[in-house]
Amino acid sequence: MPNRKASRNAYYFFVQEKIPELRQRGLPVARVADAIPYCSTDWANPVSTPLRRPGMLVPKQNVSPPDMSSLSLKNDQALLGGVFYFLNIFSHGELPPHCEQRFLPCEIGCVKYSLQDGILADFHSFINPGEIPRGFRFHCQAASDSSHKIPISNFESGHDHATVLKNLYSFIHPNPGNWPPIYCKSDDRPRVNWCLKHMAKTSEIRHDLNLLTVEDLVVGIYQEKFLKEPSKTWVRSLLDVAMWDYSSNTRCKWHEENDILFCALAVCKKIAYCISNSLATHFGIQLTEAHVPLQDYEASNSMTPKMVVLDAGRYQKLRLESTGYPHFNSSNHYQRSNIPTDDYPSGVKISGQNSSVRGRGITRLLESISNSPGSIHKFSNCETSLSPYVSTKDGYKSFSSLS
Amino acid sequence: MSGRARVRARGICVRSQHALEVGRPQAFPTSTSADLSDSDTPSSRGSVGTSRASRKSKSDRPAAAAGCTLLGRDGRLRRDLVDASVCTREKLTHVRDCKTGSSGIPVKLVTNLFTIDLPQDWQLYQYNVTYTPNLESRKLRTALLYGHRELSNKAKVFDGAILFLSQKLEEEVTELSSETHRGEAVKMTLTLTGALPSSSPMCTQVFSIIFKKILKKLSMYQIGRNYFDPKEPVEIPQHKLSLWPGLAISVSHFESRLLFSADVRYKVLRNETVLEFMTSLHHSTGAAAFPQACEKALLGLVVLTRYNNKTYRIDDIDWSVKPTHTFQKRDGSEITYVDYYQQQYDIALSDLNQPVLVSLLKSTRNHNTEARMVHLIPELCFLTGLTRQAVSDFQLMKAVSEVTRLSPLSRQQRLARLADDIQRNRDARFELETWGLRFGHQMSLTGRVAPSEKVLLQDQVCQPGSAADWSKDIRTCKVLSAPSLTQWLLIYSGREETINESFLSCLRRAGSSMGFNVNQPKIIKVPANPAAFLRAIQQHVHPDVQLVMCILSSNQTSYYDVIKKYLTSECPVPSQCVLTRTLNKQGIMLSLATKIAMQVTCKLGGELWAVEIPLKSLMVVGIDVCKDAQNKGTAVVGFVASVNPRITRWYSRCILQRTTTDVADCLKVFMTGALNKWYKHNHEVPARIIVYRDGVGDGQLQTLIDYEVPQLLSSVTESSTNASSRLSVVVVRKKCIPRFFTERNHTLQNPPLGTVVDSEATRPAWYDFYLISQVAHQGTVNPTYYNVIYDDNGLKPDHMQRLTFKLCHLYYNWPGLISIPAPCQYAHKLTFLVAQSIHKEPSLELAHSLFYL
Repeated sequence: MPNRKASRNAYYFFVQEKIPELRQRGLPVARVADAIPYCSTDWANPVSTPLRRPGMLVPKQNVSPPDMSSLSLKNDQALLGGVFYFLNIFSHGELPPHCEQRFLPCEIGCVKYSLQDGILADFHSFINPGEIPRGFRFHCQAASDSSHKIPISNFESGHDHATVLKNLYSFIHPNPGNWPPIYCKSDDRPRVNWCLKHMAKTSEIRHDLNLLTVEDLVVGIYQEKFLKEPSKTWVRSLLDVAMWDYSSNTRCKWHEENDILFCALAVCKKIAYCISNSLATHFGIQLTEAHVPLQDYEASNSMTPKMVVLDAGRYQKLRLESTGYPHFNSSNHYQRSNIPTDDYPSGVKISGQNSSVRGRGITRLLESISNSPGSIHKFSNCETSLSPYVSTKDGYKSFSSLS
Repeated sequence: MSGRARVRARGICVRSQHALEVGRPQAFPTSTSADLSDSDTPSSRGSVGTSRASRKSKSDRPAAAAGCTLLGRDGRLRRDLVDASVCTREKLTHVRDCKTGSSGIPVKLVTNLFTIDLPQDWQLYQYNVTYTPNLESRKLRTALLYGHRELSNKAKVFDGAILFLSQKLEEEVTELSSETHRGEAVKMTLTLTGALPSSSPMCTQVFSIIFKKILKKLSMYQIGRNYFDPKEPVEIPQHKLSLWPGLAISVSHFESRLLFSADVRYKVLRNETVLEFMTSLHHSTGAAAFPQACEKALLGLVVLTRYNNKTYRIDDIDWSVKPTHTFQKRDGSEITYVDYYQQQYDIALSDLNQPVLVSLLKSTRNHNTEARMVHLIPELCFLTGLTRQAVSDFQLMKAVSEVTRLSPLSRQQRLARLADDIQRNRDARFELETWGLRFGHQMSLTGRVAPSEKVLLQDQVCQPGSAADWSKDIRTCKVLSAPSLTQWLLIYSGREETINESFLSCLRRAGSSMGFNVNQPKIIKVPANPAAFLRAIQQHVHPDVQLVMCILSSNQTSYYDVIKKYLTSECPVPSQCVLTRTLNKQGIMLSLATKIAMQVTCKLGGELWAVEIPLKSLMVVGIDVCKDAQNKGTAVVGFVASVNPRITRWYSRCILQRTTTDVADCLKVFMTGALNKWYKHNHEVPARIIVYRDGVGDGQLQTLIDYEVPQLLSSVTESSTNASSRLSVVVVRKKCIPRFFTERNHTLQNPPLGTVVDSEATRPAWYDFYLISQVAHQGTVNPTYYNVIYDDNGLKPDHMQRLTFKLCHLYYNWPGLISIPAPCQYAHKLTFLVAQSIHKEPSLELAHSLFYL
């Protein structure tokens, strides 16, 4: 049963990750227990973007605000700040058991996520699948065509295994000897595991990733939080929803442009959305754009139904990150955003850095309006999560109540 | 020299070295083509020998592995034979003596079944054959045994270990000795292991082999399971197609005797070789993009090589291999492709620069062995089948269907010719005679026509002019019940505001004549992309919305899938998608609107019509299983049960299960849910439950009885403490062997609607019948086969048949009779939607309506 360990591990790794930063600040932290009090400030950070939830999207209230008083704050904080990585690797089909090569990895997606802050960063890359085993071209092409539609040959964007793996590792950037747990859906686990091992073997890089299932993670979090274990089927249905299939800023650029639903990055992001949507609300976290793709709904809210231009919000907004991580600090946000990101390998995108101001004027105007209170609020930096700009009525509602 | 003789000449079987190792980066042209060297066995062999069996010796089978039965193509006992040994009738006391009904008007029917006469005391003798020293090659084993003079003029079938003879040998244990070409002495010991009566399933299999040989003698080639005659193709020159006429045959025991059945099949071939196709593609795409375009176009297509009349799927194209390259033959010698074809088939290759096509052969016996690959020369490969493009070509499909959809009369002519050929062909007759068989006459039998049904509507009873389509008859009638549609959304993209307006007014008009009140919807215009539709739905659907109607400008599946997926599982609201193209068709707007109004009524939980059901408190259930389109390891099980005695309201459930078989796991939950629903509506449990189970494959009958029926039974018995409901389970099969024709006006026609056949063409061990409940406007009608595998109700066969016929009237998506009972069709529709578009369980909130119509 890896799941119970998993949630504890997450907590452990979160604090562990903090230790070097704390040490840099000159704090006397020898072990995880020492670091906990210093980390708590990160959790107490207010949410940066206040949300007006679109009124029309609220059919019913099906999640009641949890009774905060009865919960152990310490555990909550550990869970909230814990950083998880969701990983998926797509393959050109699955070859029969007698083949030495069972999968042909072609796309990888990974997101860094915490309940508190939503998606912190994402990583995406195409992988060069290599030579298709003779005789299996049709098999692979058919498998690709029925899902992610990545061409099996003459596809320039694919990187070789060593590069992809190196970039993935530097995205996860573990402490020496301490790899954070990586999660993927249980259905995908055999494939992702095989691909990781295969890529490590061909590129002669050590493979130390500990691949766990998201289902177990969710069960673990519920267990930790409510001392009750939800059923795996329920968890599975929770993770398998269609509502974000076409959300903006979810798929990778190529899949978005070609309008294909199956994208390794999108799978990871949608896991994050689902967990945010169902779990984060139980912790009383205000959902931000980093948690779920809200902008799709906000932008169109003010229009009359006759003239809805629904994809106006497809461009990611200028967003101010919370101060959870030093390098995401808003103080250096604007300055960072224009600097080429040399210190991140290709494919890695840090969500706070996206400054591409595109789209129409009205969108930008809306965005600036919706952002301004947040920034003011953030700089004040002294409120709890219930900011004056967020009505308490909206505070804890699950996004799933939209459905 | 025959293949067998060649083996004899070699003496020792060379172990197959032709299995290419898959996964190696380079497949060397030298180490290739097991099938090429194997296909050197010409199709016309000597007069004896199980060619099929010896051809299988490609995969070397150790002697120990030779099972105790003759094996089918997939290495197992043929699946339909597994079913044949299941006896369900003896447990059903009320039909043990007689399972035929008596009501209805008798009708004389001609069938596609022929009698086979054999002597009363006919027996098949089974011998076990062992070799000393032990030989591995089945080909060699067969060659030695068949070559022995003791057996040379006996009728025999041999699979490598077991020998069947029609005459008993003198001794129980016979020792024969023979010598291989190399001079090794081999001793063969034949031990009698049994004498089988003609009714045994093993005999059925031997009969099939005998008829396989006979069709070979009539110069028919086996492709897949069917036999085709390449000598008389039907050409459709304007579409570059030729159709090979063929037959599907089987021999089996029907109600009272052994019967041979034959049905007409066609194989569609394109009069274009792969090389010609490649050349024209090269012209249109240019050299640079050619390999990719070629792979895109050709991979996955099935080709036929006329030199051996075999089909292969193109799995890959090897651009590095040319016909002038060499490959290794089975005996180890190297030969070029050009020379090989010249020597073997006397074919000269013209283009020496063509690449070769690669096909993976399915391993017949062992799934873990490596796949073997065949290299094929494009010049010799003919494309088969129809492309998707061709299928959507109306003119082409019309031309094809004119040939393939045979009228009863021309079908009968083909059958008569086959019978004639078998009788006249000397070799064929000889083969039959050595086995002691005689090909008899065409069977005719008497069916009964059930009376037509009245359709009950809100305040009138309608006697339809034709049971096939009563849409005109009920045009002015009010449907049984229809909730009014007050709050609904109409989402559209594109510019057709005027079309929408006229469609809406038609919908309102059609609705009002049906008694279905349609209010003005909230109309939303969105950009033409799936995301926009999804967002509009997410924004505007609230709990009071009864229906979302989407007018789609293209029939790309992505629109439909995303709308249905979201609205059935995440946000359960009935939805209706309409194509702009359909609305644009002139002159059909009102009838279209009527059809949509009916569908929408059902989706909102309304009832359209009913038929008279004499049984009070009867619940009917339909179950269907199909495979998920995206995820082949997942089976989708649909369950639809009626919840009122009138059988007009339904409870629908669907689940996805991870199994490789099509057997349902979750029936107990479904049945309990349906019974609860029934109890809620009727305040009692139903007295009778009849379950129609569709989607059953060959060989699953026993599993059904052992696994599904107990699930249903347990929930039925748990449902009530005192008198529990009585259960019947009927297996429905849309594909069955027999066809029936009736003679009228000096010509053969399809039998009238409601024709029931429950004698002669049925099976002795089953409580089964055929029912014709559909019309075929073109071609011959396909009867539906019903097999009652469990029956507590004890309804008379007459009543069972009538009830089944009545249920075929109740499918609300079509105002007329359909081929299977309505609950089955609903379950099918539900599983199809889930398997194709949704891929997850629909929300329970929709279970009370026919949201999937």
